[in-house]
Amino acid sequence: MERRKFLSLLGTSAGLAGAGALPQLAKAADKKWTVALVPGLTTDAFYITMHRGADAAAKALGVDLVFQGAPQWGVTLQVPVLQAVIARKPDAILIAPTDKQQLIQPLKQASDAGIAVITVDTFIGNGIYQTGSGDADFPLSYVASDNILGGKIAARALAKAIGDKGKVFVANTIPNVSTTDQREQGFKEEMKSHPNIQILQTQFNDDDANKAAALAQAVLARDADLAGIFGANLFSATGSANGVRAAGKVGKVKIAAFDAPSDIVDHLKDGTFEIAIAQHPGEIGYFGVVAAVAHLTGNSVPALIGTGFTVMSKDNIDDPNVKKYVYTG
Amino acid sequence: MSTLSTPVAASRRTTLARISDLRAWLFLILLVVFFEIWAEVTYHSSFVLNPYNLQSISVFATAPLLLALGQTLVIISSGIDLSVGFTMGLAAVIAAHVSNLSMDALGLGEIPAMVLAIAAGIVVSLVPGLVNGWLIAHLRVPPFIGTLGMYGVTRGAAYLIAVGATVPIHNSAYTWVGNGKIGELPFIVLLTAIVVLATHYLLSQTRFGQHTYAIGANRDAAIRAGIDWRRHTIKLYLLSAICAGLAGTLYTGRFLAGAAQAGEPLLLDSIAAVVIGGASLFGGSGTVFGTIAGALVIAVIQYGLVFIDVEPFWQFVAVGVVIIISVLVDQSQRRLAGERQDG
Repeated sequence: MERRKFLSLLGTSAGLAGAGALPQLAKAADKKWTVALVPGLTTDAFYITMHRGADAAAKALGVDLVFQGAPQWGVTLQVPVLQAVIARKPDAILIAPTDKQQLIQPLKQASDAGIAVITVDTFIGNGIYQTGSGDADFPLSYVASDNILGGKIAARALAKAIGDKGKVFVANTIPNVSTTDQREQGFKEEMKSHPNIQILQTQFNDDDANKAAALAQAVLARDADLAGIFGANLFSATGSANGVRAAGKVGKVKIAAFDAPSDIVDHLKDGTFEIAIAQHPGEIGYFGVVAAVAHLTGNSVPALIGTGFTVMSKDNIDDPNVKKYVYTG
Repeated sequence: MSTLSTPVAASRRTTLARISDLRAWLFLILLVVFFEIWAEVTYHSSFVLNPYNLQSISVFATAPLLLALGQTLVIISSGIDLSVGFTMGLAAVIAAHVSNLSMDALGLGEIPAMVLAIAAGIVVSLVPGLVNGWLIAHLRVPPFIGTLGMYGVTRGAAYLIAVGATVPIHNSAYTWVGNGKIGELPFIVLLTAIVVLATHYLLSQTRFGQHTYAIGANRDAAIRAGIDWRRHTIKLYLLSAICAGLAGTLYTGRFLAGAAQAGEPLLLDSIAAVVIGGASLFGGSGTVFGTIAGALVIAVIQYGLVFIDVEPFWQFVAVGVVIIISVLVDQSQRRLAGERQDG
């Protein structure tokens, strides 16, 4: 089953990398390429799932994969790891940069040393590469979910769940994180075409479930007729759910959760969460490696590769084709 | 009163402590009155006489307050414990695993599994507590550095044991501990109240408490008075770790999953609560009732600002300003009180 999945994905990837890519990819086995994956942090189910996807592609293509990162999100932690990785002279680096600006110079060094740089999940500069302008256009490709689209999908699903009317708010983690900001942006853009839905102030919880719970309860104290909450990341969603439960409003206040680790997915059926938006981190890892190998074997690579989402609800979660996108450690 | 031979200093301390105590509560009352007036005028409903608000705020305050209780003991002895946040996370993750294992592998029922899980979380937290105390008391490592080291160790251990994910539990008895109510009283609030009273008793009514103040006020004098400060210090860091461990195991019950980063954002809140509550970071002063007020001040501001619909970025500013004002008032009071006594 796993193998079949690799093959079907490989088929897709060959199409993606351009016609005739497959024989070229096969030739990669002659020279053993080394690709390094540097995640935003190593201790997160999202990046662990990404690593599994990258590993699958590496095995399928006969590439050595190195996985090295910091246990926690942060520039000062990631840069030393990156420099150690550069010192090992891999042929390509896949990296989830922890800052849009501060990672430009360290990655430029890698690029100048002849290492192909591809960013995954997060980006440097504005995420638009290979334009020939700007100091951050040197990475070959940006492989990620479209978080704005993810926010829109969440908004559509939440709007449907609350009958297209009522008050909602975004529970968000920390301001100015590119991905969660984009989810909020997409959510709000989509809600513009739902005129009967009123969006209240965003509440930031510092990625603390305890605070997210209290904030949801405070909003409910003020607006008892609250219809829905969009939890823009894990703790925003689980914390809000706890606040809603304490207020005795499970099922009355619908919660859309972004991301799909098992502690969210497990509670779709009891109504704690109405929907969970799963990104496909395995796909990001897989296509990151495929893009690197395509480049190393002389093929062109698209500057942006968008990976998909799966909307999970209690109605479809038992379907193995949906369930396989749950993040696992 | 027991071996301490400085009744004058002791009474001065309590007078000072009472002033600071009162100050934190006054500040809290001021905040509550402000939100009450706002609620009456804007929503024509009461802020404080609303059981829902009281429940929400008290549940919100439990985790930071539990961490702050241990922190109060440590800070009074002129130490600090930076490892509480990840000790809490470590306990949360261990408790989740033990709950799952004892149900799946040992075939235990939900209640024994819950008891075992909470016990395991608290027992595990003894390890960082013991190491902290030992580093500080026997190897003379400064508390800030020693506990910062354990902050790293517990953080790594928690993430390793969680294998990079949150650890979901499926145990309704355990979930009840985190979310259940006895009448209108949330169980975790009741449990926290018991720990608060026990800590208050320990600190204000026992020799243990007197020794804690004595070590914080002047360690050399305390040693001359025959206090075994090393042993005492180890006990204080153990108590701090137990509080953190309890907070972690309750977190798992409340959010249905153990998370390594459960307590990370609470470290600074716990220290702020102790300082707002009137303790000095230089040691020798502080009370449990002050710390309660400190924790409630933080919870009430956070909750109240959302309740009155203040824009999110102004919430950050407001919380910061309130903490600074609160400590400034404390400092000036202290200076006045100090001048009076010295003169």
